Amino acid sequence: MTLEFLATDLSRATDAWRPVARSAIEPCLRAAGARFEVRAGWSVAASFGSVEAELETCRTRVGVADRSALGKLEVQAPPDALKDVIREAAEGAELELGTAASSAGAFWCPITARRALALTRPGDTGRVRERLERAAARAAAVTVADVTTTLGALAVVGPQARELFARLTALDLRPTRMPERGFRPGSVARTPAMVLREHGDRFLLLFGAAYGEYVWTVVTDAGQALGGAAVGADALERLGEADDRDGRARPGHIQDVGARA
Amino acid sequence: MTPRPTDRLSPQPGERIDRSTPIAFTFDGRPVQGLAGDTIASALFASGRRVFSRSFKYHRPRGLLCCAGQCANCLVAVDGAPGVRACTEPVRDGMRVKHLNAFPSLDWDAMRAADRFGAPFLPVGFYYKTFIRPRRLWPLYEKALRGVAGLGRLDRDQHRRRWRTDYRRRHADVLVVGAGAAGLRAALRAAELGADVVLVDEGAEPGGRLLAEGGHERAHALVASARDAGVEVLAPATALGYFDGIVPVWHRDTLHQVRASQHVVATGAIEQPLVFAGNDLPGVMLAGGARRLSALWALPPGETAVVATTTDDGLEAAVALLDAGVRIAAVADMRPRPGGPAVGRLEEAAIPLMRGATVVAAEGKNAVSLVVLARVDGNGRALPGSEIRIPCDLLAVSGGLAPASSLLSQAGADGAYDAASGCFVPVPELPEGIHAAGAVTGLWSEEAIELSGAVGGAAAAHALGLGGDGALKELEQARLRLSEMRGAAAPPAVPPASAGHGRDKCFACLCEDVTTKEIQQSIEEGFDSIELGKRYTTVTMGPCQGRMCQLPSIRFMAGEMGQDLGVIGTTTARPPWSTVPLGVLAGRPFEPAKRSSLHARHRAAGANVMWAGDWRRPYDYGDPKAEVLAVHERVGLIDVSPLGKLLVRGPDAGAFLDRLYPNRLSNLKPGRIRYGVMASDAGRIMDDGTVCRLDEETFYVTTTSSGAGAVEEWFSWWLATWEMQVHLTDVTQGLSAVNLAGPRARDVLASLTELDCSNDAFAYLDGRRAHVAGVPCLMLRIGFVGELGYELHFPAAFGEHLWDALLEAGRPYAIRPFGLEPQRVLRLEKLHVIVGQDTDSESTPYGAAMPWIVKLDKEDEFIGKWALEEASERALETTLVGFQTIDGGVPREGAAVVIDGAPAGKVTSARFSSQLTQAIGMAWVPAQLAQDGSRITIVDDGRAFSALVSTKPFHDPEGARLRS
Repeated sequence: MTLEFLATDLSRATDAWRPVARSAIEPCLRAAGARFEVRAGWSVAASFGSVEAELETCRTRVGVADRSALGKLEVQAPPDALKDVIREAAEGAELELGTAASSAGAFWCPITARRALALTRPGDTGRVRERLERAAARAAAVTVADVTTTLGALAVVGPQARELFARLTALDLRPTRMPERGFRPGSVARTPAMVLREHGDRFLLLFGAAYGEYVWTVVTDAGQALGGAAVGADALERLGEADDRDGRARPGHIQDVGARA
Repeated sequence: MTPRPTDRLSPQPGERIDRSTPIAFTFDGRPVQGLAGDTIASALFASGRRVFSRSFKYHRPRGLLCCAGQCANCLVAVDGAPGVRACTEPVRDGMRVKHLNAFPSLDWDAMRAADRFGAPFLPVGFYYKTFIRPRRLWPLYEKALRGVAGLGRLDRDQHRRRWRTDYRRRHADVLVVGAGAAGLRAALRAAELGADVVLVDEGAEPGGRLLAEGGHERAHALVASARDAGVEVLAPATALGYFDGIVPVWHRDTLHQVRASQHVVATGAIEQPLVFAGNDLPGVMLAGGARRLSALWALPPGETAVVATTTDDGLEAAVALLDAGVRIAAVADMRPRPGGPAVGRLEEAAIPLMRGATVVAAEGKNAVSLVVLARVDGNGRALPGSEIRIPCDLLAVSGGLAPASSLLSQAGADGAYDAASGCFVPVPELPEGIHAAGAVTGLWSEEAIELSGAVGGAAAAHALGLGGDGALKELEQARLRLSEMRGAAAPPAVPPASAGHGRDKCFACLCEDVTTKEIQQSIEEGFDSIELGKRYTTVTMGPCQGRMCQLPSIRFMAGEMGQDLGVIGTTTARPPWSTVPLGVLAGRPFEPAKRSSLHARHRAAGANVMWAGDWRRPYDYGDPKAEVLAVHERVGLIDVSPLGKLLVRGPDAGAFLDRLYPNRLSNLKPGRIRYGVMASDAGRIMDDGTVCRLDEETFYVTTTSSGAGAVEEWFSWWLATWEMQVHLTDVTQGLSAVNLAGPRARDVLASLTELDCSNDAFAYLDGRRAHVAGVPCLMLRIGFVGELGYELHFPAAFGEHLWDALLEAGRPYAIRPFGLEPQRVLRLEKLHVIVGQDTDSESTPYGAAMPWIVKLDKEDEFIGKWALEEASERALETTLVGFQTIDGGVPREGAAVVIDGAPAGKVTSARFSSQLTQAIGMAWVPAQLAQDGSRITIVDDGRAFSALVSTKPFHDPEGARLRS
């Protein structure tokens, strides 16, 4: 494989070395008092003290969680070929601009007619990448790149999530304009970004990883002004379980990013 | 003297105060007690205060006028923030309120001398006439004028300003501006039909005139219905302007950027003051303001009142004040035959009603104590024998209504003078997506106003495709009914443009202290259009933004010039419609900064961090000289993550790069690296970097750190133009990169990887992929700092792991991290160019001493080929060379290279090299001097440096160390 130097899952643990992937936001999480655990090769902020309090924040205000560990795979191809490759790799999912497809353990997000992004659980990145590369090999002019570390990701969860985004972006995230699984490239806090509405009040913000500390600072600042707070992967996981019980989660949901691999 | 507190009236229907909840705050350091629901103004008024501010120029005392946030008479500073309207700002426990624009105190202001003695120095347009000569005194004048100008001061210490401001973007289907009867009905109707509606109003609570004029229950019911229907209500909130569909709305500490598909403007109409001698005295209030003070805060605006009006509004206010317990001494109505129920009520109460009369003067020292009523001629002069002098402490005036049409005008609506109502009214044909409702359209009856709101809301919803056929039919019927209601209210009288000339100052503009006499002078000086007059006199340019002064000044100008008001016209409506703190416009400060994954490590290592483009990077780690020597003698490690990194992939990738670079890249072998300089269409250097071929169809391109974004755009633009089979992926932020450099670099690297790092297996300009400390890496054997070096590119998530591993492995060799400053010294020793530092927008590869990089014999066209062919045929005028100063001095970057006393070039880089123990640099010099050993003179701020030219690197000129 030519581009293995892009892939975090291809690191090798030996007796001497045990590489752990860290999010660009980790210094901020550390400063905020996060408790870390290594999950699927990534150092993940499990909680900030009380999972119950974080759950309450997500249910009543707005919680902000680092999800940079999500796998992110970029596919480029001519429009028809892109649809074909995604359909094959995503077990029949159809790409439609503006909406992410949820299938085969990933979200498939069309950025343009020629470029799409697959979002996976951290432990699934290699498997989905290989599936995509196999599909790409059978088509002409299709390329796949692992951009997991190129993009940072934050979950913004709770009834005040839209209000938080309103402080940072002109994207129209009203439910009528941004239905569940809506996916929008745009500008957030004056940086290029993409927003995915996973479901309900649960949003995923993707941005240039080098802006990680900056984005975390401005997003949590806006969140705190709305009564929100930083939350950890455990709270998201619990919230995901509750969503599952309530039948709110969709096939392929990725809220259990922090789940123990 | 401590003012005597004013007793509250008995409970008023619809009063806003909670009499059981006291609120304590301070005014100019003294304790004041108000009630919950009070504004600062009502609480201060209750405490006995009558003077609330000092005027802008003459420092005349000013009292409450509108009690609705329209005028500037009650501006105060709250907790350090100046420019707050006391009449709409609710009181809060502990707030610190201070007066503005008076010294030493609000009640005794030394600058009042400007009113008594300043006339010769402050004529209209005084800033063009006085304080100019003698010119040498201007600094003194300027200091003095700056000291007395402006309204309020900000704390110089930024950190003591603690208020937070936010931006909030709000998309909506319909924005309704104004929450009076029309706006509330519009919002409710649009929401009922399924629209997402935002309703904003300047008032402390929505309801508009209904609240103080007996309709508070109706207002509360409409507000509750609107909220139940899902309308978002913002109040107090000011729509500041209309910017191509975006309406910024200032609501407390937040600026809402409202982006609505449809807009309903229901901004109502503004009661106008009358212009007469002494019309600015405290105790002169708008009739509506006096009514609000008594109805909403249960405060008698005076003990004995005189009312002067041109409309039924003034008569109704007189009745309301009478009902509230205020003694009405007399009422003057400009109309010869006023009618309606209010006249009957006044007659029943035996209140003297002067028909066809108005007020010509208000008198008193610091407040009204007497008013003069009279019948007047066309010029506002009292008719002989008609004057009546009436002692009073309140003069309530009502000069008719002026539609608040500024927002409509900004949206592109036209207005026309309506002689019947004596004001400018928007024409019915409005721009697409804009609807108007209520008094702003010239409707005056309550029924018509509310119906027009329902029509506006339904029309907005219909434009969005909401409501269906039934709603459309209803809308058409309502429109028909509305057209029958127009002109139903009693027409007002047009007041004299000015009355009581010669008695005291008559103010046309209270905010800017512009008198009718000054407008008269400006016309005599030739400023005879309303736009010129505005700029010369500053009338309408104050905090009220023309709400109180536009119509009076137009009336006065029309009278002076003998023209119709329609001919004079209005000034251009410009945002903002209200004063707004700059901090609110600015919102939260955003300063996007990129940081590498190693940033925390740099901080922990004591790095001095600097901005480099949009990245935060280590300048050095405290000892740049030692860092340079470490690289030369042992091994150093630098974070070069900000380098641009592009993947160029596809069958045409090689051909694509051949078209973008002047040199050949398609013949690069997999696993090899080539340096490239990118040229513009004009053959000028744009950027540089390395290209490594990973396989037949994959190239890894690096760019300069600051040029990464531009190069990616440049590539994308040409790719879209050429439609080649190539895909670009920018992995700049995804990959960290470090440069391990120095004679022991190989030893360090070899201890962390299974790759054969020998010079034979991994030679200079080779690219290799291997794991280093368990991390998948792309390794480029290149060197920018003149020593054996390896650039490692790897997933940024492993930044800290690999950095730590390299430093640990380098510990036996005393490895040191080095920053940008040592890197700049090291590259200068090698005469490596930094694009943008040593080149500018006119530099070609030929001038930059890199002719070898241009391959004019390439078969295909490439960007800049024609320009470079032209350049290759011309003799160079200047060339980039190295130099060393003879005396060891270091000229600054930008210093001139001087030949025969004339500038002939410039220094682009200069440093002292500890390794070479000499000052070295790069400079553009005349081409004939671009020879080793040529002597040049550099002049920097008067100091001359003799220097010798060098065309070869100062360090390791043959590159033996690099290739070792």
